[in-house]
Order: sequence, then C-alpha cells, then structure tokens
Amino acid sequence: LYEKDIRKFKIQYLIFQNNNFNIIKSKNCRLVNGLEIMSYKLPDEKDLEAMIGIVGKEYATNNKAITAGYLAKSVMGLESQIPDIVVRPKYVEEIRKVLIYCSAEKIAVSPVSAGLSGGFACPTIKPGGVLLDLGRMNRIIEIDEDNRYCIIEPGVTNGQLWSYMHKYHPDWAPPIPDGAPPAATVMGDAIDRGFSLYTSSVGPQGDNFMCGEIVFPNGDVVRTGSWALPFAKPFYKYGIGPDMWSFLMGSQGAFGVITKAAVKIYPHPKFKTVVVWGMDNPYDMQDLTLEVAKQEFGISHHTVMVQGGNYPLVMARWPKDKIPHDYTFYKEMGISQWWMNWETWAQTQEELDYATNKIDKMAEDFKKRARSPDAIVKQELHPKQIASRMKKPNKIAIPYSFWEAGFLFITWYTPWPECAHFADMYTKKMEEYGFPPVIWIASIERCRQAICMPIVCFDSTKQSDLEKVQELNRDTTEYALKQGWLNYRPDPYIHVQAYYQAGMYWKYLRAFKKLVDPNMIMHPGRLALP
Amino acid sequence: MAKTGMERLQELKKDIYKCIHCKACRFAYSGEPDKEGIGEYTGKQGTVLYEGMVDACPAGIEYGWEAYWNAGKIWIARSILSGDLEFTEEVRDVILPCITCGQCSAQCENKVRTVDIIEALRAACMESGVPMIDKHELVDKLVKERNNPYGGAAGERLKWAKDAGLEKFINNKDAKIAYYVGCTASYRQVEVAIATAKLFEQLGMNFTLVADEVCCGSPFFRVGAVDTAQELMKKNLEAFKNVEMVYFSCAGCYRTFTIDYPKWMAEDEKLPFKTEHAFELVARLVEQGKIKFKPNKELKGKVVTYHDPCHTGRHFAVDMEQEMIEKSTNLMMDSRKIKEAIDAWYEVPRIILRKLEEDVGIKFKEMYRIKLNSMCCGAGGGVRAGYPEFSIKTASLRCDEANAVGADILTTECPFCWRNLSDANETYNHGMKVMGVLQMITEYNLLEILEKPSVKDFTIPSIRETMGDKPKK
Repeated sequence: LYEKDIRKFKIQYLIFQNNNFNIIKSKNCRLVNGLEIMSYKLPDEKDLEAMIGIVGKEYATNNKAITAGYLAKSVMGLESQIPDIVVRPKYVEEIRKVLIYCSAEKIAVSPVSAGLSGGFACPTIKPGGVLLDLGRMNRIIEIDEDNRYCIIEPGVTNGQLWSYMHKYHPDWAPPIPDGAPPAATVMGDAIDRGFSLYTSSVGPQGDNFMCGEIVFPNGDVVRTGSWALPFAKPFYKYGIGPDMWSFLMGSQGAFGVITKAAVKIYPHPKFKTVVVWGMDNPYDMQDLTLEVAKQEFGISHHTVMVQGGNYPLVMARWPKDKIPHDYTFYKEMGISQWWMNWETWAQTQEELDYATNKIDKMAEDFKKRARSPDAIVKQELHPKQIASRMKKPNKIAIPYSFWEAGFLFITWYTPWPECAHFADMYTKKMEEYGFPPVIWIASIERCRQAICMPIVCFDSTKQSDLEKVQELNRDTTEYALKQGWLNYRPDPYIHVQAYYQAGMYWKYLRAFKKLVDPNMIMHPGRLALP
Repeated sequence: MAKTGMERLQELKKDIYKCIHCKACRFAYSGEPDKEGIGEYTGKQGTVLYEGMVDACPAGIEYGWEAYWNAGKIWIARSILSGDLEFTEEVRDVILPCITCGQCSAQCENKVRTVDIIEALRAACMESGVPMIDKHELVDKLVKERNNPYGGAAGERLKWAKDAGLEKFINNKDAKIAYYVGCTASYRQVEVAIATAKLFEQLGMNFTLVADEVCCGSPFFRVGAVDTAQELMKKNLEAFKNVEMVYFSCAGCYRTFTIDYPKWMAEDEKLPFKTEHAFELVARLVEQGKIKFKPNKELKGKVVTYHDPCHTGRHFAVDMEQEMIEKSTNLMMDSRKIKEAIDAWYEVPRIILRKLEEDVGIKFKEMYRIKLNSMCCGAGGGVRAGYPEFSIKTASLRCDEANAVGADILTTECPFCWRNLSDANETYNHGMKVMGVLQMITEYNLLEILEKPSVKDFTIPSIRETMGDKPKK
C-alpha cells in the first residue's frame, strides 16, 4: 500500500507542479481530486509599474538580462527559473506594500536574503513571479556584548559580519554558519535551520535566534519573542506566550519575509585547536564520536564543531582527471579512509589541553570496542592545517564543482547512532550511479542529531548526468524515509514523499500559511505547500 | 582561421557550468576572513571597512543588481547557452559595464575563467547583430580609420620620440629588440613613453620604435569587437615580425600581445617573438646588482604606494595558473607550486619599489587590497570609453584606498591605469601625485648603473616564463 500510495501521490504532485499553474487573473485556487491547485498571475507591465511606485524605478525591473542573473541551478536544487520581476526593497514598509499588492493580484513572491545557493530556499521556481532581492537590507543594527546578541537585517553576509566583528568585537564570535561561503547570509542560514560555528555544542543556528520581525502577505508586521512588546529587548525567544518564531525555522520563505532578527553571540576564545582521529569505517567514526558527545558537560561543550567524512571528500575537491582516485595515495599522505574532527574552543590553554587529552584518551580506550581497532589512529595536523580548518567563513564547500562541472548537496538528518548506516547506504548508491562516494557528517548538539551530506559531483553540462542525479535522489529518498530519516532541505520535486507521510503536520503547516498568506503567494511549491 | 565569440563561449561551456553561484567572487580576500586591516576609512566615495574580506567587484558595487556582479553574468552566459535568454541590447547593456578586472577569477575556488567568459559573451553578442553602444562605435570607427582609438594621426604616433630626442630609435633596423609603445603612451601619457625609452637608452639597449605599430587591439578584444581586434593583431604581427623581443610599458598592450594573441591566433601559429614588460627588466637588473638608485631629497620620506594593474597582475597570474593546471597530473601536489609562482610574479614590481625605499628614501606602503586581491582602477574592459562616470568613480574608490594609507604618491605600471587614477585624483581632489614607477626613476634621475647590462640581459626569458616551469610561449 505504501509504495502504491507514494507512486500515486508522486504522479498527482508532478501533474500539480507541471501542468496546473495556469496564468489567470481570477481566483487562484481550485480543487482537483482533493488537491489544491493554485494559479498565479504572470506579472505584466502594470505590475512592474506598481513595484516601481513602491521602491522607485532604480530598484524594480523586468529586464530579462537582469532577472536572468538570479538563476542558481546548483548546490541545493536544480529547478531554478528566471523570475519575471526583481524588486530590491530597502525598508520594511516597502516589503509590506509589495506583499499586499502581490497577494491582491495573486502574484507569486520569492524572497532572497542576499546569497543564492544555500538551502534551496532562494531561487525562483515555477511559476516564477516576483523575486525580492533583500541585499540592500544589510545593516548590522546592534551588537550587545552584555546581553549577548546581535541584531541584523536579512542582507548581512557572513563575510560582512565577520569583518565587522573581527575589527570591533574581537572577543565575540560572529554568529555565522560554519562552512557556508562568505557571501551567504546569516539570516538565510538560520531560517533554513543551518549551522552556527558551535552547532555541535549548542544546537542548530535556528536555536540561536532570539526574536524576529516578519512581514506577512496579509499585511501584518509581527515581532516575535520578547520583541512582541514595544519596549522590550530581544532577550527572550519564548516571549509572552507560545513561540511563533519556530514556525519560520525551515520555512524557506514560504510564510513571509523576515526583516530583522536578533541572534545570540558567544565568546570567541583565543585557545582553539582541532583534534582528528582516523578510522577505516563509518561505524567506528560514529561510535567514538557518540562516546565523546554523551559526556554532555565539559569536553562535549568544548567541542564546538564535530565533523568528519571519508577520503573522497578530499579527492573530489580537485578535477577528476588531475587527482589520484586510488586510496593508496591518500594513505601515504596520512589521510584515513574515514575521520572525525573535533574543533575545540576553551578559555585557557589548561582547559584546552584537558579537553583534547581527554578526547585522545577516549579514542585510545575506544579501540577495545572498535570494529577495526588497528585503523583507529590520531592524525597529527600541521599548524597550517589546523588554522585552515578553523578559518571561518570559508570556501570549503565550493570547489566540488572542480571535479567536473556541478554538484548537489543532498542532505539528511538521522539520529546520530544511525549516521553510519546512512553513510554506508549512500556511498554504495553513489558508486552504483557512477558518482564518487563523497560524504560529510557532522554532529548537532552533542550528537543528538547527525547531519549527513552526500555531495554528488557530476557534469551539469550533460542532461544524462542531471537525470541520474535526480534518480539517485528519488531512489535514496524512498529508502531513507522508510528508515525514519528526514530530508534537511526539501526539494519540492523529489522530497514530496516526506510530506505525504506527515499528513497531519502538513495540515497545520497549511493552516498557518493560510492565516498569514491567504492567497498562497509566498514561494509556491516550497515545503510542498501550494 | 580565428574563432568566433560563440565558438569561444561553447569552448568555455564547462567553465560556465562550474559556477555554483556562491558569490565568493564579490569579495577581495574571500578566503582571508581574519586579514588584519586598517578599519573603516571614509573617503570621497563613502566609507569602506578595510578588514577581512571587502566587496571588490566594481560593476556589482556600482549597479547592485545580481546580474552586474560576476556570478550573475556567468549565469547570463549559461542562460544564453541553454536558450533561456537571447542576445538583445538589454543583455549587452548588462555585460558591458564590467571592467574585466578578473577579481572574480582570482577568488573562484572552481577556477572559472570569468574574464574569458565575459569577453566571449560580448563577442557572441556582437556577432548576433546587437549593435555596439555609441561610444564604442566611435572608437571602433576611429581605430579602423587611424589605427588608434584616440583618433590621432598616424604621423603623430612617434612625435613624442622626436620631441624627446629619441628619433634615432625610430625604425632602427639593427635592433632585434622593439619597444611597443601603445596608443595611450603615444597620444596621451607621453611621459610614460619618454621615461621608458630614456631608461632603455640609459641602460644601453639597442632597440627600435616601429613606425608601423598600431593599436594592440586590447579595447576591442575586451568589448567583443573581435574582428577589429584581429585586424589590428595581424598588422602588429606583420610590423614586429623581424624582432626577437618586444618590450612594453603598458599593462594592457603587454597582456594583449602575450595572452590574447596566442588565444585568437590559429591553432598552428605561435607568437614570433618574446614579450616582457619594462619593469621586469628593471627588477631583474636590480636583483643582479647591475643597477641601483640615487638618493633624492625631494622624494625622501614621501609615502609611495603601488597599484597593481589588472592586466599585468591578475590576468597574468590567472593565465599562469590555468597553464599550470592544464599541465598538472596531480593538482593537489602542484597547488603549492602554483601559489608560489603567483606570489613570485607579484613580487617583481615590489623588488623595484623596495630598492627605491632602500636607496632613495621613499616610504613604500602597501594599500589594503593588493596583488591578486588588488582593486581595479576602473579603466579596462571598454568601461573608460563606454561608461566614463562609473569608470572614474571606481578609480576614485581606489584613490580612497591610497589615501587611507596616507600615500603622497600613487604609482602604477600602466598608462591606462595612470590616466584613470590621475583623472580621479583631480576630479575628486584626492591630493596625491600619480605616476609610473619607471617614470619616477627617469623624471627624478634616480638610475645609477653599476654594471652595464649586456644584450643577453635584455633578451633572456621573461621572469614570468621561468616561473613554475611555465613553458615558453
């Protein structure tokens, strides 16, 4: 029954995606076989005039040469299409007016903080419409070292915030994601539940956000948490009642536009290093890491980023024909087949030494229980390697396109004790489909969850490769969902299966969306919402 | 037979599809978040935080829309190849205001050849029948009529040499070394031409100034007028066919002869002579201890900074890198060698500047964005001719950066950069003196020859060609 239903739903969904975005001006919702089918208006010159009336003629355009610049078919999704109009607002009121207008006219709206690739939250997909480029809203409004938060607008990039805090607040770590490129934004990362610099210790970036200001398409501007009160600082996320902010975590812009947010900041201690242990299988990697994380207090809190992977993670950063594929080469360089990095921060050298020595002792002790004890080895890093691994923001995730021409991160959450199973399954599947078995795994909140990220490196100039990637994605999604694993960045064309299994939850998501976005204009298709 | 722009674009398809739109290319120092800087500086063009990574794509900074930043343009190229977008005047107007400084290329972790892509895109746009913008049309017309984009008379091209008493070098048949002067130094910044030729004379070089020299074609390769550029290329190759070595004082001409000509020549053709910029020769002689500089009271204590021209800096560095990547069989092992070669290349002008500091008493102080991360002067890519306001504003941004380190003298080694920086310096009252490094040496009579250079010193392979086992062209 399960397989049959999935197939049925997939067919319905694909019909819904591909054939039913009729461009009409009338009411934009109808029911077909129980499915809500939306229709959106294709924006015309009159709509452009309206946008110009709101933001000025320098900041709204339907010039196709300009709108084409917003395409991004890579990293997280392959289905981006050219928006019909791009608007670059500067102020909250401008956004409010744009949303009210588009809602009244049934024009789809996709907000982009300033980055483009991350989270697949950004690019416009079918049916196009208005893209809101929030890059002009790039103010770092406040950094409060005593209350330990900073307030930012959506267009603040990681590079911008890092430079600013490095200069003016050097004792505090900028609340940017680990591993995201410098032009990605703090806000984009947060609303997609991404990483912070200390996610392995304190949880996902979304948890670090205290309060936010959101403009909904119904015209309301809502402040969440303690910010709901006019004179309150953004000091308490749960504010005066049930937390509305969490509804927006992972929303990918499907509910409204977040225009301001307060995010926690943590100290940036001077005593930092990276401890690395290697092994020859993902199960030993998983089990040793869990033993360290389960300490919970002490060293577990010191290990701010705990992340690892396999040797193809190193290999696929270089062109396919200019790097050895055989493991022997990497072995000679001292790279294990699998490894785990513990990036460790402490306030004193003594604390740092204690934490790193303790990890080493636990790793030595773990050999007694390991599947492959002889392969458990400490990897001694050169100070330059340590500095390179601790550099943030960095470009570490970018060069996987160098292998051929394009890559896709297909990311999943699993319970930590199941991440090795995931890695084992996925690497085999990648090889079966002819892709290098590249996988990265990291701990969230002391191994409460694992984030597992297969990196599919392929040649995006070839249609056959694109089809193979999508088939791999579908194939593995079916398997992963049966294990109870969750897709992190849902691709509306592939991961709709996940929503099908969570019908009741989806019902309430839709109800909330209808409340704030009555004409369903925000990012249609995202989260499998109409 | 030469290639069309669309053929070049197709050749670059895999590069285009490598772009993941990460936008790291918007920054200088995109990989150096902790680079210590000088903090905020408020100059004539506003406030910039010189710390860690800094926005450095001039077109993106000026126009703001994603399409004007480099990544946007790469996705325009991809849309053209995929058929999602057709060439129109609107497309032309987005892809032309790019200075092709190559900052984006230097930042790219996937080594996308961004400048090649943008130039091929422009060439393909023109081939499709989209007309040139009026200002480019005018220089195209001028160069077709007069062999230079300034409209100067052919007979006036070497007037500076006659006026400076250097007539004996014109069509000097004995010489196997030529000095290619270029249009800007011939018709506008004659100081640069005079300084370079006099320096050669002082060093005892037997060189020729070729009267049949025409525009190198650089502006036309940059804006996509490839037919015009290739006509000029043919004329120059004919005019310089009897020499073994050609020296340059213009970064753009040097880049065009050395990088563009081989790229646009037929597969079986090779450049028939070696090429070198005059500053490479001077740096070599300094290193060999054959020359030094005299102390100078007027210059002593002056803060001198240096602007790396994109055409001698990044364009050569990226070209060098691409060639080494192509040759490599294990890029992970070779990557350090590539970095070392690029670092060594950027040191060449600094060898001269440090010697000037040591001997003359200037204070050489670097700006924040230098070498591979240097900010463009705004003149290249057809932008000075096509979009003069934007061009000068960009130059002024660069002058702000020089002001931020307290520079009295802003030096460079390209007459085109010199012109634009100088115009911005005057227009926005930056209060500095702008001059070429070799011009400073000649005008202040700083050169002291310790050992007379031999013919071999003038004709040995360029420093650039001996770096990283780079094969000779």
